[in-house]
Amino acid sequence: MKPVHLCGSGLACALGLDMKLALETLRQGGVAPSQITLPGMLGGSFPYRAIADSQKDWNERARQLVQRVAAEAGAQQAHNGVLFIATSSFDIGAVEQGGAQMDYRAFADKVATWLGWTGPVYAISTACTSSLNALIAAHALLAAGEEEEALVLGVELDNRMTPGGFAALQLLTRSDSKPFGAQRDGLVLGEAVAALRLSAREPSPWKLLGGANVVDGSQPTGASVAAVANMYRRALAASGLTAEQIDLIKVQAAGSPGNDAAEAQGLRDAFDTVPPLVSLKAAMGHTMGASGAAEIALLTACLEHDEWPRQEREIDAQLHVSLAAAAPENARRIMATILGFGGSHASVVLERA
Amino acid sequence: MKTFAIRGRCAATPPPQSWREELARMLGARPRRIGTWAELGLYGALTCMAEAGEQALPPDAQIWLGSERGTYAATATVMAQMQDDLPMPLAFLQTQPSQLLALLAAQLGWNGHACFVAGTEPQALLRLAAAQCGAGGLLLGWVDEMQGGATNWLRLLPGGEVAGEGVALAADQLFAPGHTHVRIDGMSLRAFPSGAAILGEQGAR
Repeated sequence: MKPVHLCGSGLACALGLDMKLALETLRQGGVAPSQITLPGMLGGSFPYRAIADSQKDWNERARQLVQRVAAEAGAQQAHNGVLFIATSSFDIGAVEQGGAQMDYRAFADKVATWLGWTGPVYAISTACTSSLNALIAAHALLAAGEEEEALVLGVELDNRMTPGGFAALQLLTRSDSKPFGAQRDGLVLGEAVAALRLSAREPSPWKLLGGANVVDGSQPTGASVAAVANMYRRALAASGLTAEQIDLIKVQAAGSPGNDAAEAQGLRDAFDTVPPLVSLKAAMGHTMGASGAAEIALLTACLEHDEWPRQEREIDAQLHVSLAAAAPENARRIMATILGFGGSHASVVLERA
Repeated sequence: MKTFAIRGRCAATPPPQSWREELARMLGARPRRIGTWAELGLYGALTCMAEAGEQALPPDAQIWLGSERGTYAATATVMAQMQDDLPMPLAFLQTQPSQLLALLAAQLGWNGHACFVAGTEPQALLRLAAAQCGAGGLLLGWVDEMQGGATNWLRLLPGGEVAGEGVALAADQLFAPGHTHVRIDGMSLRAFPSGAAILGEQGAR
């Protein structure tokens, strides 16, 4: 098995159009969410962490963001490798504008053309775990020597259908996201385009050790305690590590009353001593299919630049977990977790030299 | 390069006219509140598993699913509902292809790795799946509901050494009957027809 390195990352999200801006915004305490208005009795106004730019045409906006973020990740060094596009909504925003048809292959071809991509292209869609499943798939190809370079591109951009569906399921808060919070009452959705460049030939301080995804059909819209614990055990086994070797876990903790509780219990079942935890949802919103790539990009940048998201909310004492107020010293082995629709529970393990 | 023994197969393009009745029989009741695409997927996967003689997947097996258009019909329905109201919650869930993975997991009494790959070719799906496949093998499917529908599945077990080089296999023939083993090498598919000498212990039935 070849080692797989995380050699570059790029991010556009509500915190900023690139990583430097995102870190600066985080340092200043974040940014207030914008609002989205949805129709119907259960509709109305909801907070939404949109990317701040003025382009209204979905395709043109997506093209600009994808090219910008991919360039930030150094995608030009991987054009002959494999491209993984991870999304739950594809280009449905363009379909709503009349600028595309619902066609997976056309969407993948469009993104590949924007990037001048010459290697194989895969579009992974497992709802909110899409990016992590793309990372796991990319890791398998690179570790086996089938490919040498890969780019995982998480794309989740503005459309009405996704927030409409979450609102219909009554999963959204009308205030703000409170990860593991005592008063948590739902999610704040957000936009993101994020890129992670992986290489089996170029060294980097960051290594992707492996990961696991566990689908539990008993909970098609929520997290299962047993599946969370199973996911952590499988991810550790796939990475050749033990629970005691993990220094930090980036949790899902999107502020959902039920899911946060299941996640906390699953953590306690999998770890005799739960490692320090961090959540990025309050800062950037839940960016669904892009969230795995977006949150790994932001977290690794935070650790490299000594930044940390503020954890000012009161944590629910009944969960028996806490969020780290500052980055753990010498955090080397990190897990990043996303839970999603379809009973999908995914986690990957990174190691910093 | 990996070689798989084909332990079960459902090749249904289009599915038989009685497929909904067959699905109800396999489930013990007509499925409720799921879309046609998911029903087609369930029908094909359960038919394939029945042919393989398995009722449940082993924990280390994986489910890999591909589609050209996937949940486009459910998505069109939800977009129409969104014109003047929020969509129906269950209708929105049906826009997510991963819901079929959860349905399959529940039906097969299984928790494990499952993944949906959109709009690629079947051999590309098999390539990704093969790179992650463990001893429990794969339940690999391709489902579309347009043009009369298609639900094609293979139950694949790794290993099963075969003699010779086999024959090149077009991507759209991956699920077709007539071969007992399939080999993926990069994006290249090779098939080993019935009657090929099987050297390993894990041959097809």
